[in-house]
Amino acid sequence: MAEWSGYLTLILLGALVTVQLTVMGSALALVVAFLAGLGRIARWWPLRWLATAYIEFFRGTSIFVQLFWVYFVLPFAGVTLSPLAAGVMALGLNVGAYGAEVVRGAILSVPKDQREATVALNLTPYQRMRHVILPQALPLMLPTFGNNAIELLKATAVVSLISLTDMTFQAQVVRAQTGSTLVPFLTILALYFLMALAISSGVRALERRLTAGLDGVR
Amino acid sequence: MTEPIIRIDRLEKSFGALNVLDGLSFDVMPGEKLALIGPSGSGKTTILRILMTLETISGGHIEVCGEQLFHMQRGGREVPADEAHLHHMRRHIGMVFQHFNLFPHKSVLDNITLAPILTKGEPRAKAEARAMELLEMVGLADKAQAMPSQLSGGQKQRVAIARALALQPRIMLFDEVTSALDPELVEEVLLVMKRLAAETDMTMLLVTHEMGFAHEFADRVLFFDKGRVVEQGPPDTIFRQPTHERTQAFLRKIIAAGHRV
Repeated sequence: MAEWSGYLTLILLGALVTVQLTVMGSALALVVAFLAGLGRIARWWPLRWLATAYIEFFRGTSIFVQLFWVYFVLPFAGVTLSPLAAGVMALGLNVGAYGAEVVRGAILSVPKDQREATVALNLTPYQRMRHVILPQALPLMLPTFGNNAIELLKATAVVSLISLTDMTFQAQVVRAQTGSTLVPFLTILALYFLMALAISSGVRALERRLTAGLDGVR
Repeated sequence: MTEPIIRIDRLEKSFGALNVLDGLSFDVMPGEKLALIGPSGSGKTTILRILMTLETISGGHIEVCGEQLFHMQRGGREVPADEAHLHHMRRHIGMVFQHFNLFPHKSVLDNITLAPILTKGEPRAKAEARAMELLEMVGLADKAQAMPSQLSGGQKQRVAIARALALQPRIMLFDEVTSALDPELVEEVLLVMKRLAAETDMTMLLVTHEMGFAHEFADRVLFFDKGRVVEQGPPDTIFRQPTHERTQAFLRKIIAAGHRV
């Protein structure tokens, strides 16, 4: 039984890496989602084109392949990343592409009336977005952002393929050393589930806070 | 002889193949209260939206406070106005919409102070003091902290009027401001507008189906049909002795529908 606690520690260390990847990857995804989402509705066409190209490329190719490119191919171009940085980058850019469409959709779903009121009040385009459109679009984005973050959490498992010692990687190690599949994989199943639960309840709490006072509007 | 505050010169506006405004020309003098009436689709709302720069124009010129609205001079040539020029021109004009368009995520007070703070750099305290005066004027001082969703339609529209007034525009546009209201809420909004007309020297353009109100409120009535001004004059003339046959037909229909003229 004593050796199991050592193995559990190993898996918990892996869980820490998984959490790290999820948090940093989600942060990158969020930034990229806003940049590309706003780029998609920009008035200047090169920006629109660039954002569309990014979104289509990262949605249209596998995250597995993207990870290998970032980690194994970029060094040929002189860019060498640590496994963690490569993992965060691949996850962030991939999920950010999905998030960009969420940002765009939410912004476009704010009624046209609202934009017209901001024009009549002579706000600048930046002020319109910052003070009127985004505050109303944000609550619409949140549920899907929560989904995306959970997708990202689950996708972190692929980074074990570039020698990052995440939760799945450690479970494989335990399995190899003990010959038991059930215990390590049942453990990480429960841990993934708990992490996902934490994300979805966190997002729901945020949603409640952002929509306070907006009741009865939509 | 004072100069017109708005000069509309051979204005064209088309949506695709549809000509909404067809060589429209008229002037508005400072302080004048103008009522724009006519059948739906006659272009009266479109002209307000164009003045607020919510629509572009297809041809012609508009001058507001002595400057071109949609054109500017660059290198001795007339070119289409850019966003900076439109921003510069919009400070003369305010608009109240049919559906109020209040910001649902902001309190009544914040709805009113947002633009003065952002566009004029007013300190919050000053903007709030002015907002409270305006709320007092529209009879809603007790609703300053309420959210728009807690207000009735008539209250929302009065807040929207206060919000537009907070920027102290020289020209106010009212686009069917009572059309979306329940009948019993119309009066409270019209009362505010009457007071406004009596107490300020603002230039006001009003698109309305309330003929009785137009009669009382306006110095001059413009009857629109098919993107042109068919007939115009003092309210007594337009409503009592319209000369044009299309004006007569329109007013007959309105009276038949039970409206007071």
